[in-house]
Amino acid sequence: MKRLAVILLAVFVLSVCASSFAAAADFNLVIPLPLTGKQAKFGEMMKRSYEIAAEEINAKGGIKKNKLVLSFEDSGAKPETARAIVEKLIDTKKQPIIVGEYTSACAKAVAAVAEERKTPYLVVASADDDITQKNYKYVFRQNQVNAHYGDGVIDFIKNIVKPKTMAILYESSAFGTSGAEAMAKDAQNTGIKVLLKEKYEAGSVDFKPLLSKVKAAQPDVIYMVSYVMDASLLMKQIKELRIDAKLFAGGAAGFAIPEFIDNAKDAAEYVITATLWSPQLKYAGAKEYAEKYKKKYGDFPSYHGASAYSALYVTKDALERAKDWTPDGIRNALKATNTVTAFGPIKFEDKEGYQNQNFIDTLVLQVIKGEHETIWPEKFASKKYVYPMPSWRERR
Amino acid sequence: MTSVQLEVLLQTLISGLLLGGLYALIGIGMTLIMGVMKIINLAHGELMMVGMYIAYVLFSSFHIDPYLSIFIAAPALFLLGVLLQKFLINPVLKVEAIIPENQVILTVGIGMVLANIATIIFSSDYKTTPVDYATKAWYLSDYWKASPIELSLSMPWSVSFCVALMITAALWFFLTKTDIGKSIRATAQDKDAAMLMGVNVERMRVVTFGLGSGLVGAAGCLFIPIYYLYPDLGGQFTLIAFVITILGGLGSTVGAIVGGLILGVFESLTSTYAGMGWAPVGRFMIFVAALIFVPGGIMSLFKKKGLGK
Repeated sequence: MKRLAVILLAVFVLSVCASSFAAAADFNLVIPLPLTGKQAKFGEMMKRSYEIAAEEINAKGGIKKNKLVLSFEDSGAKPETARAIVEKLIDTKKQPIIVGEYTSACAKAVAAVAEERKTPYLVVASADDDITQKNYKYVFRQNQVNAHYGDGVIDFIKNIVKPKTMAILYESSAFGTSGAEAMAKDAQNTGIKVLLKEKYEAGSVDFKPLLSKVKAAQPDVIYMVSYVMDASLLMKQIKELRIDAKLFAGGAAGFAIPEFIDNAKDAAEYVITATLWSPQLKYAGAKEYAEKYKKKYGDFPSYHGASAYSALYVTKDALERAKDWTPDGIRNALKATNTVTAFGPIKFEDKEGYQNQNFIDTLVLQVIKGEHETIWPEKFASKKYVYPMPSWRERR
Repeated sequence: MTSVQLEVLLQTLISGLLLGGLYALIGIGMTLIMGVMKIINLAHGELMMVGMYIAYVLFSSFHIDPYLSIFIAAPALFLLGVLLQKFLINPVLKVEAIIPENQVILTVGIGMVLANIATIIFSSDYKTTPVDYATKAWYLSDYWKASPIELSLSMPWSVSFCVALMITAALWFFLTKTDIGKSIRATAQDKDAAMLMGVNVERMRVVTFGLGSGLVGAAGCLFIPIYYLYPDLGGQFTLIAFVITILGGLGSTVGAIVGGLILGVFESLTSTYAGMGWAPVGRFMIFVAALIFVPGGIMSLFKKKGLGK
């Protein structure tokens, strides 16, 4: 009887081992994202990009032969919801790594939970400087921080345009104000005189009074921090008034997306803008990803999508190098990351008061013949920049 | 004053007048409804939004120029206004309620429903009608080579302004020369007397609400070539219409035109000389000042001097 029990036990143990060897388990990754609410558009883009990446990874045999199974939880861009989702993931589902979220507010909430529960968190597209300045050991960020967004533009201005004066126009929100402040400081450090620094209310109909004042001041560079509809109205009315600055530069979001060109049309020509990524970058996989996305969804993705897509490759890379798939094992592997993705090189460094921060060159785009082209830094350029640009009168 | 300063001032005044003409058209619809029905239509901006969506759909599906779509959007909005008045507002007007302003609350509700329907159908994305002439402009230096200053006059803005003036003139003709127009004015002046004179007050109310809606629908078509469109855009234009109505004098068409122009010019001047962030503040300063110093609106000043009718 005793012998039978031993045999049965042995058979049972063997079969369990066998099954675990034969069919490798799935690796489940739940990603918190804003899929409803104001940020839903970005959440959607990121979700699609994660899915493209997971498909590719599984087609090539998964992560250490484990199939990567994705699912998504909607945080609605609300920090408290994001926090609750991540608490559940770590406490009950025992997920050893957290990837995702979009808004900085949500990422902050998630980072706090991850650090408290000692689980690594990979920040994908949240820009607030604060997130990686809190001495968190378990929080990693692969996108550039807000303070460095304008680096590329400043560099371009310094080396090519060499202006003496500048006018800064910005919308009266936190985003607009911080962008304008950062640029004013950079301009001062570079010895550029800021002649005008004016805010406006987002959604204004008529910018011409403000712009005629700008015209009278005759600045060399006009720098604008706006969302998309204000950005195109501003450029349209600048064209109407024929304000001939040496350079029109956009601070961020509003100028860097295709809708800007669609709406402002020929008024958008030669406008430069900062961005973090473009499909024209020569990193392996960048173009393929962008083409695949466009084929499936009809439009090129912005840096948000590219970062999400690459985040899964960074995760895969860390999981493959990790000694074991515990939070600490993965954390140590992430810290040692040194890889190149479609988003660019990823390496988590501690410097300038940031921890586990990836520093990537920011790019400058210029609208040339109705397309966004990468023009700066020169090593990434897809087209030579157009400078000096023709005056409005000559453009007809 | 140097030529540069003069240029800034003149350019600002041009912008202000063009903007004011458009504001006036938005204001007229509201003031008309206000005069006849004694209620503030807080769904006014949302009705304009509906007009803009009609222009947008016509442009993107059938390539009909936004200015031509006035002929479709204005009648459509007239019909919508008539239906709203007949089946929603009139029944509420008849009910004795604790709050006397429940029709006003009803219009807020109508506005919300319209905005949400638009969100469901068109999503909350921004829409535009990218017309070819969007950034065309006339320049002073092209016509007068030796001009010491450069002024520009935007083509779509000027066209919108002129069309707005034409619509206003047509409305004035309608109100003063036609039978229905006279009945509407009679109803506005004294509802009971009009009724005794045989005016069908009920029908005049329906027509007025339709007319007000049609006017603001036309204003929407004039706005879309120079602006853009999203479902929640109504609120800010309701506010502008409201300020104009108060400034011009409740129920006065001429007052609305003058009020619109004053508001447009004042906003432009604040943008230039106080900073564009102050433009909304300027709007409310005018509003409060009008309430305190000219409670009857600009028209009451005209009447005092024997100018108004």
